[in-house]
Amino acid sequence: MIEISGLAKTFPAKGKDEPVDALKDVNLTIQDGEFLTILGPSGCGKTTLLRMIAGLMDWDDGEISVDGKPVRGPGPERAMVFQSFALLPWATIRDNVAFGLELRGVSKAKRNARADELIDLVGLRGFETRLPGQLSGGMQQRVGLARALAVDPQILLMDEPFGALDEQTRRLLQEELLQIWEATRKTVIFITHSMEEAVLLGDRVALMSPRPGRIVELVPVPLPRPRASAVDAIEGSAEFAKITASLWRQLREMQLFRRHSAQGRHAPSEPAA
Amino acid sequence: MNATAVNAARSHPPRFPARRHLTNAAPPAIALLAGILAWEVVARAWGVVFFPPFSAVVVRLAELTAGGRILSSLVGTLTNLVIGFTIAAVFGVGIGMLMGAYRKVEMALDIYVYAMLTAPSLVFAPIFFAIFGLSRASILGVVIIYSIFIIIVNTVAAIRSVPIALVEMGRSYCASERQLFMKIILPAALPLIFAGLRLGIGRAVKGTINGEMFITAVGLGAVVISAGRRFDAAAVLAVLLVIIIIALVAVKIVQIVDARMTGWLPSTARQQRTRRGGGA
Repeated sequence: MIEISGLAKTFPAKGKDEPVDALKDVNLTIQDGEFLTILGPSGCGKTTLLRMIAGLMDWDDGEISVDGKPVRGPGPERAMVFQSFALLPWATIRDNVAFGLELRGVSKAKRNARADELIDLVGLRGFETRLPGQLSGGMQQRVGLARALAVDPQILLMDEPFGALDEQTRRLLQEELLQIWEATRKTVIFITHSMEEAVLLGDRVALMSPRPGRIVELVPVPLPRPRASAVDAIEGSAEFAKITASLWRQLREMQLFRRHSAQGRHAPSEPAA
Repeated sequence: MNATAVNAARSHPPRFPARRHLTNAAPPAIALLAGILAWEVVARAWGVVFFPPFSAVVVRLAELTAGGRILSSLVGTLTNLVIGFTIAAVFGVGIGMLMGAYRKVEMALDIYVYAMLTAPSLVFAPIFFAIFGLSRASILGVVIIYSIFIIIVNTVAAIRSVPIALVEMGRSYCASERQLFMKIILPAALPLIFAGLRLGIGRAVKGTINGEMFITAVGLGAVVISAGRRFDAAAVLAVLLVIIIIALVAVKIVQIVDARMTGWLPSTARQQRTRRGGGA
């Protein structure tokens, strides 16, 4: 279980810029085996939040704990998948997938065997000795996912992992991720700015608003599982449409509010729709 | 019109690797021949004593080589070059890494590095002479002064250019500081470090010859000096040819080591880096 309470972070003023309240009073509890998607407009602090959970960034106030243990830095029970893939360009696909194990001192034979297992799982068999530069973006992110799974973490932290991919590749990878998750049931925190992606993948959607970044709503997604084999039916369902529409209403309001306040006017007190 | 189109298409055949190899070898070969021809023609037409034609220089080179003078000097020169460049490479890369990794070290040393990089290195020759006298150490000092600063500057840039995303990835997988350095920062920085070493080896050759000419008359530098005193222009140019060949071979060796260690780099990135490194 991941518990986040009263989390706050202010980036200090730089030059003429005002200090930025990146996060303010973020409270969130994520159950074991839950797939939580965090949705918000760009600049709402969702990546900041994920980096803090990963132990890559400090915060000013509040607490993050994993299974009751406070987070003080990166840990072996958490593994991250990056938007930019962050693969080692000089290392083969096999070595990239095995990298987390290599850092932990796992012997070459063992880690290669484990890497090949995961390369198989993400559908990249035959590419073991290629370099990342020889692969398409979608294939590179499969490597990123395999690398994270290779260390067998309890928690997968995914920072807009499909954000840099084209629509078709993204849809394929969403299905594959659902398949893998439904088979392994790891805890996943998945950042996205796509409403459809958030609803399709998540058990719950945490909706964030910008400046200060905070969680304005936790939307449960009561769509049936397993979803991997029924993506089309789910996306065509009334429930799916209803949730994404309500998320979009709130996101649009945030954007409008931001534009109005930027123009020095008051935001409409009632939602437009 | 159709015929011209077909001809145009024929004149650009598909670039098979073997063919490209040939066509890539042709321009430098033609340029080299043209240069030698121009040298020969201009020198003969002009007929100045201090500018002998290429053929005369080659004949003189053959004489010097046969007399054993070139070979014996070559050993001394290469020894100075190898020792001097090795020291410059080890310390240059080391200092550059410290400066790249620690902001404060860079702030402290930056001014010295850039001052020394732009200063004419030969002015330090008398200082080394004063300290080390007529010994090999004086020449090595000059070699190092010539080559170390460009290596430092490139290494700093190399460390700075390591993608933050990769370092962050390493941290997220619980890499220790040592692992971060050995498994991410160093390999990622290697291509630009080698760009610095390539520039450094060229300067080291210059430093070796200048050191041998102006401090202690040994090696090829001594041959140049003594030939100059005898107004033997053909011998001076003959030694110059040898020096150029040494420089080209040395650069080639560094390139080969580079290619072996950074073979993962796509060829386009390699070209860009060469251009960038060459401009530094």
